[in-house]
Amino acid sequence: MTADIKSSNSDKDLKVGVFICRCGGNISDMVDIDKLKDSIDLDVVEEFVNLCSINGRKIIRDKVINENLDRVIIAACSPMTHEKTFQDYIKPLNPYLMDMVNLREQCSWVHENIEEATEKAICLINASIGKVKQSQAVDPITCQSPESAIVIGGGISGISAALSLGKQGIKTYLIEKTPSIGGNMVKIGKVFSPVRLAEECGMCLINPVMNELIWNPNVTIMTNTKVLSAERRVGIFNILLERSPRYVDSDKCISCGNCSDVCPIEVLDSWNDNLSTKKAIYRPFSQSFPDAYTIDIENCKKCGNCIKKCSMNAIHLNSENELIPINVGAVIIATGHEIFDPKLRPEYGYEKYEDVITQSELGRIMGVNGPTKGKLKMQSSNRVPKRIVMIQCVGSRDEKPDGHKYCSKVCCMVALKNANIIKNKYPDTDVLICYTDMRTPGMYEKYYKHGQENGIRLMRGRPGEISKKGNSLIVNVENTLKKEFMEIETDMIVLSVAIEPSEGTKEIAKIFDIGLTEDMFIKEIHPKIKPVTTDVKGTYVCGTAQGPNDITDSIVQANAASAKIAELLHDGLEVEPFIGEIDFEKCNLCKDCIDSCRYKAISTKDDEIFIDPLSCSGCGKCLTVCKSNAINIQGNISEKIFATIDGMLKGKKDWEQRILVFLDHVGYTAADNIGVNRIEYPKSIYIIKVHSINRVMPKHIIYALKNGVNGVFIGEYPGDLMYDEVEKRIKNMKQKIKEYGFNPERLQFSTVYIPYFTGLARKFKEFDTKIKNL
Amino acid sequence: MKSIPDKNILLFKSCLVSTEYPGIESSTKYIFDKVGVEYVIDHDQSCCTGLGHYSDVFNQTSTTLIATRNFHLAKKNNAKNITVMCATCYAINKKSVKLLNNNDQFREKINAVFEDSSMEEMKYEKESFNPSDNIFHVVEVLFNKKDEINKYVNMDFSNFRIATHHACHYCKVHYEDTIGGFRNPRILDELVESLGFNTIDWYNTKRNTCGAGFRQRFVNKPISMKVTGDKLLELNKENVDILIHMCPNCQMQFDRYQPYLSKELGVDFNVFHLNITQLIALAIGGDPYKTVGIQTHTVSIEPLIRRILDIEV
Repeated sequence: MTADIKSSNSDKDLKVGVFICRCGGNISDMVDIDKLKDSIDLDVVEEFVNLCSINGRKIIRDKVINENLDRVIIAACSPMTHEKTFQDYIKPLNPYLMDMVNLREQCSWVHENIEEATEKAICLINASIGKVKQSQAVDPITCQSPESAIVIGGGISGISAALSLGKQGIKTYLIEKTPSIGGNMVKIGKVFSPVRLAEECGMCLINPVMNELIWNPNVTIMTNTKVLSAERRVGIFNILLERSPRYVDSDKCISCGNCSDVCPIEVLDSWNDNLSTKKAIYRPFSQSFPDAYTIDIENCKKCGNCIKKCSMNAIHLNSENELIPINVGAVIIATGHEIFDPKLRPEYGYEKYEDVITQSELGRIMGVNGPTKGKLKMQSSNRVPKRIVMIQCVGSRDEKPDGHKYCSKVCCMVALKNANIIKNKYPDTDVLICYTDMRTPGMYEKYYKHGQENGIRLMRGRPGEISKKGNSLIVNVENTLKKEFMEIETDMIVLSVAIEPSEGTKEIAKIFDIGLTEDMFIKEIHPKIKPVTTDVKGTYVCGTAQGPNDITDSIVQANAASAKIAELLHDGLEVEPFIGEIDFEKCNLCKDCIDSCRYKAISTKDDEIFIDPLSCSGCGKCLTVCKSNAINIQGNISEKIFATIDGMLKGKKDWEQRILVFLDHVGYTAADNIGVNRIEYPKSIYIIKVHSINRVMPKHIIYALKNGVNGVFIGEYPGDLMYDEVEKRIKNMKQKIKEYGFNPERLQFSTVYIPYFTGLARKFKEFDTKIKNL
Repeated sequence: MKSIPDKNILLFKSCLVSTEYPGIESSTKYIFDKVGVEYVIDHDQSCCTGLGHYSDVFNQTSTTLIATRNFHLAKKNNAKNITVMCATCYAINKKSVKLLNNNDQFREKINAVFEDSSMEEMKYEKESFNPSDNIFHVVEVLFNKKDEINKYVNMDFSNFRIATHHACHYCKVHYEDTIGGFRNPRILDELVESLGFNTIDWYNTKRNTCGAGFRQRFVNKPISMKVTGDKLLELNKENVDILIHMCPNCQMQFDRYQPYLSKELGVDFNVFHLNITQLIALAIGGDPYKTVGIQTHTVSIEPLIRRILDIEV
């Protein structure tokens, strides 16, 4: 490799101090500290029994100040445990001018021969001296985002999230595209209670929350409003909103309803699932907010009756859309769900038979504020149905292309709830639920049993078809427990249709460039340990925008999302400074880097490539795709790797085998675990910690091979965002190695897992043996 | 929608079409010639084995061996777009292509047989056929030409109540490729509509199979007849005159057994059974006997034709 890649050694005069920790014998029992000290050709070489103690701090700080040290090496334990401690101890020196040599986990705890361990320790310290000389003083990047957030969607999730943010003192905009906040929860009538074996009034539960929100001075509620565009820059989202007019001035309107009385236009009331009608000037529902009427302008004939009638002069038919730009520091997506279209299952006759309805429609019918004032009636006649059959999993748990493979999670409970309500009010009505599997985990199981005791009947089987015989509907179903075909005569059929991602969710994901799952819900960056966090920094998700969730789970997520935002906004954000920077002279704007970035950190801004320091992880993937070499990672990363390689190969004897092992955070922790558990591995193993495996370039490997290394081992955790990329790159690297005349078998790629350290130790041994036999 | 070819087509011969309703093949050719679909027929082609396969007479290996030989013929004729008249040929050929492409071990086993028999030229090369882009049903080719077909319509069926019966092996096996829906299959309805006639569209039991179930017709006759009878009863309820088919096996089940079921159930069934190609051929001027081959039907089609002619007179 060419010498120009390594930076020139004008750093000869830098004053380096080495501090060796005995670690109460943990290191000094296996490493000959005197020999080690003698081998280091520097003025400042100190040792102490435990450097991490307060006394250790004094020794280090005194030397740094009195000896005017430029660089510091701490030869002690793993940087995983004490890097932050020693970065603090070397103050006033810049924290990035210190390097740690892991004598404990990588020397004394894994080798059993004092001479060998000492030799390796000498080598590791030498490598560190070379490396630390390449270090540059860099300051952590701090970003302070504006203490404001936007919550998109005004259902129970958005309301809960906005309220929590507001209470934490964060200026919050709650955006809702319909004329009122409230979402689905205000429609469903009663809700099931997880512990109490009872159904509670949904409106009574949400109303106090809505009132609290309305009175919170930090929250601005914007209804009839949607997001037009959004742009993210260093922790600031510039968002353009569009507010469509409600044609009634909500400040003036006193909700007397006189306007509605004189309106001649009747339209279907979507709040009642189109089971009743409303006027073209209407209030969505009696507790809606803003507390004002609104006009359905598509159906309004502009007769002017309402204007004449309104004593408050609140109605203006000529209002126009308004564009509102806002800047916020964080985003919560609470765009909710839609329901599966029952027309897609023609065999269930939703369009054909009036008495085939959805659970949502049943909820409206059973609601005291619904079209029948809570009276259960058939749609075809005014009769109370003698029997109701509920069909579960309509559109859920369905392998075929127009169904959803997932379970919609709430439908078993929704069906049981509605069945219980019916059983309580109409004990003579037979309710039969045809289910695939009943899924009522945790406390819900008690509710399930309660329902059975209430007389709800259950049958395992998915009905095949519904037909009509006389005035009755016939459900054709196989009871799959009894293996019997049955024809069930019934008055009413209720379909438990799947929860689907809403169009709004998909739109918002596109506007914010947020990843979606294969089912088109908002994808969390790690569904297990980073719930509610999306792949765009500063944006979070809650409620059914994330997937099928019940009200309780939606509220839990909403509060989690608002807590994540409080973390982000209150403390500001300190990020490691080792992130990408663009050399604009070299950049030809090919934009390959934008597509390569898994962290969505790169965009264009005023015809220049822009790397968002908040989002950049410093993984270095973009470096590998940039043909004009216009991207660099701050902090001399590449030079440090070269210097470390030099140091680790220094003094290598011809007969001696040395293997370089590159590990990132996860791999390094696994290697530490080998030490902690005192498992031995060959002395030939030399571990180099890198921030990301992507930073190890072919030039480093070829340089190492040319300078006599016997093998290179690269480990990566398969859960890493970059794993697939790395795996692909290794193949190319092997090819390159071959072109340079080396055996490609000298490069090994392997998966690593933190708990599977024994496996890593074994792989080290096997690779060492394999290289010996090459 | 996938792209549908109108040339380089191997019109894949079907055992049930040839022996039971040859009018389906002559109708298909009649329409293809009229609207300019280029096709070849290779008389060396063998039966797909479907009837035997689903009756456990031929295992998957024999079935795929024969399919591979047929694929070779298609290639040799420069007609890689295999187009079938029978839904079972459709499912069998698709499955064989999928197996040959995706299961290396199985493909090697098949190829080894050709090697042992000194028929190396018939060996299958991975990915040389694509299950979605090389295997079609005639209805799909017609669907692609429906606007063209419409220009030739000169017979009026609009006074008849028409229902459709979609073949299970077209809708329920490789449903990722099915055109016109598989929950409520509509490709036949759309074809009939494109001629300018209406269908009754959805009816109870629309998605039920014909009941033939291959060997079920012979070994479990009561079940087989129950399924067929259920559908006929439903068609009676809907006052259906014509049931449109896309598979000779379904057509056989309904046409041959309708008189038997009338007697068994004591119900008059008066449903005419026509393959979609037969309906189109009649509508665009095909000769009822020479082209449409109505003389091989059990439920006579002549009253139907007479009714149309009477109306026209």
